[in-house]
Amino acid sequence: MSMAEQIITATEEIFSTMIMLEATPGEPGAPPKGPFRNSVTGMVGMAGQVRGLLAIHLTEEAAKSVTGSFLGMDVAEIDDDVRDAIGELANMLAGSIKMMLTDNGKDIKLSIPSAISGAEYTIDNLAEAESTSVPFTLPAGTFTVELQLEHPAG
Amino acid sequence: MGKKVLIVDDSNTMRKIVSRSLRQAGLDFDEILEAGDGQEGLAVLGANQVDLVLSDINMPNMGGLDFLRAKAQDDAIKGIPVVMISTETGSDIIGEAMSLGAKGAIKKPFTPEAINETIAPLL
Repeated sequence: MSMAEQIITATEEIFSTMIMLEATPGEPGAPPKGPFRNSVTGMVGMAGQVRGLLAIHLTEEAAKSVTGSFLGMDVAEIDDDVRDAIGELANMLAGSIKMMLTDNGKDIKLSIPSAISGAEYTIDNLAEAESTSVPFTLPAGTFTVELQLEHPAG
Repeated sequence: MGKKVLIVDDSNTMRKIVSRSLRQAGLDFDEILEAGDGQEGLAVLGANQVDLVLSDINMPNMGGLDFLRAKAQDDAIKGIPVVMISTETGSDIIGEAMSLGAKGAIKKPFTPEAINETIAPLL
């Protein structure tokens, strides 16, 4: 399974199981260079047999929509709850992709998820990493899932 | 049902989602208690009569595996069943959790049905 297919499989599983929003994948490509504007990003690092980074970048509208569906409530602004939800979303994506990278995710450790938001920010990429991203469209906005792997397996 | 459950997870969002999923699964607990890491979880168990614990694994301060180790050392709380809820469902990690006394594991993402299937037999 390619990195793009891993991203799509993991994303569709999470959105259909827990978020109940249809996320339509677009064409895989190079990761967005940024700067990200009026966005929210959730990130989880991978260490061990495979080292890398999983990031999900959402427009503010998409982040509010995803958080609202996640929690079953209306979300009016980007706050700690939204950043926490997007961090947890990154965590679940990384957990699902980890299981596809090695035998049952063996020998890969995930970092505690983090999330940032703001009017304009950039994120440094890993050096020497193979990177792929997949854009998705929601009824309320767009998001991109990005995977960087320094030593991809399989 | 008249029972209390403790949810241990560093994500406030995930604690809310697990609470909602318990209700959606038809598991009507009298009280849902929350803790942000294993250390807080031990404090809650020491101060309350809890029937079941649902715990994340990957948490700051004290993670789920260390929480299980510490709980096993305390005679007053070591018999309370714990189910792990985590993205960390690799066989080595879950195997370690089960060897430390966990009674089951639920993979994130999860459905209310998956919650019910694992938890109902423990109540």
